[in-house]
Amino acid sequence: MTWEGDVVDALAANGVTTVAYLPDTAVSSLLDRVESDDRFDTARLSREEEGVGVLAGTWLAGGRGALVCQSSGLATTINAFSSLSVPARIPLVALVTRRGDLDEFNAAQVPFGYGLEDVLDAIRVRNAAVEDPAEAGRRVGMAVRTAFSTREPYAVLLESTLTGAKDEF
Amino acid sequence: MSSESGATGADQAACTAAVLDATPDAALVSNLGVASYVLAGVEDRARNCYLWGSMGVTTPVGLGIALETDEQVTVLDGDGSTLLSLGALATVARHDPANLVVVVFDNGEFATTGGQPSGSELVDFAAVAEAVGLRAYGAASEEGFREAYDAAVAHDGAALVACEVAPVDPESRPTLDFPHIARRFREAMDGA
Repeated sequence: MTWEGDVVDALAANGVTTVAYLPDTAVSSLLDRVESDDRFDTARLSREEEGVGVLAGTWLAGGRGALVCQSSGLATTINAFSSLSVPARIPLVALVTRRGDLDEFNAAQVPFGYGLEDVLDAIRVRNAAVEDPAEAGRRVGMAVRTAFSTREPYAVLLESTLTGAKDEF
Repeated sequence: MSSESGATGADQAACTAAVLDATPDAALVSNLGVASYVLAGVEDRARNCYLWGSMGVTTPVGLGIALETDEQVTVLDGDGSTLLSLGALATVARHDPANLVVVVFDNGEFATTGGQPSGSELVDFAAVAEAVGLRAYGAASEEGFREAYDAAVAHDGAALVACEVAPVDPESRPTLDFPHIARRFREAMDGA
């Protein structure tokens, strides 16, 4: 079993009904699995910020949502998290491929990618990193459980040590 | 139609009431500011999801609800919010849920921040929606809005109604208890 398969099973086992995403090479295998899995509805987005709204709608209508995007895309969601998900207590889980730290070649990815936890902490979105493939499914499952029990968004940061960094050195 | 300010355009409260007349059980998602204030004054009901923030994300919230339920979902958005995220219309068109209608009440201004011009006079929202693949209708009177809304609800796909409205400054407000709004809405929807 791959870590991607573990993550998909953890989402389904914890009641996630809808996955909203923008594509990213680092999670292409994960997204292929989600797209071909009858346990999920999927929502392809034009901008990641929309995903926070779409998945708020998922919860408001009785489901559970997960957002999959890259850290640069999460940068577009900060207003939606801080003025919708957090104050209205609308839960969702974000699986964020993290750029900007180990093995990053592109300076444009660094300020937000490296500062991601600080930004999320500042707007009161709890978050945890995943580096070990053997831990990915368990951590994502635990994130889903705590998000929907406490009715708060939760972000899981999929580190480059897990996903493999883009190599353009 | 005219408001107390004498500006042209449909009466937003009358159009909001028309939405409830035509689709009394619809889940309504209203944009922060005037759309929510007017809706709260017309009828406060459990299936009103008033937003207090996240400008530009109102229509995506409606899309998410529409994808999760078969019931009618209507978004009451504004011109400023729609301009913040025109790309969201492309996302709606891609998924094209037949139970979703997006109403853009275009008063031409950022009403809750002091009435500064939004720049929407340069934008034909119905044409933008059509250009990304959505069915769209335009209106500038209450009668025109009623006809357009009925057609949008009947259309077998998502649809947008762009309605020019006169600026208003309503007294009514939804509760400031934002988690209560979300929880009450969810409990009123099937599957909650």
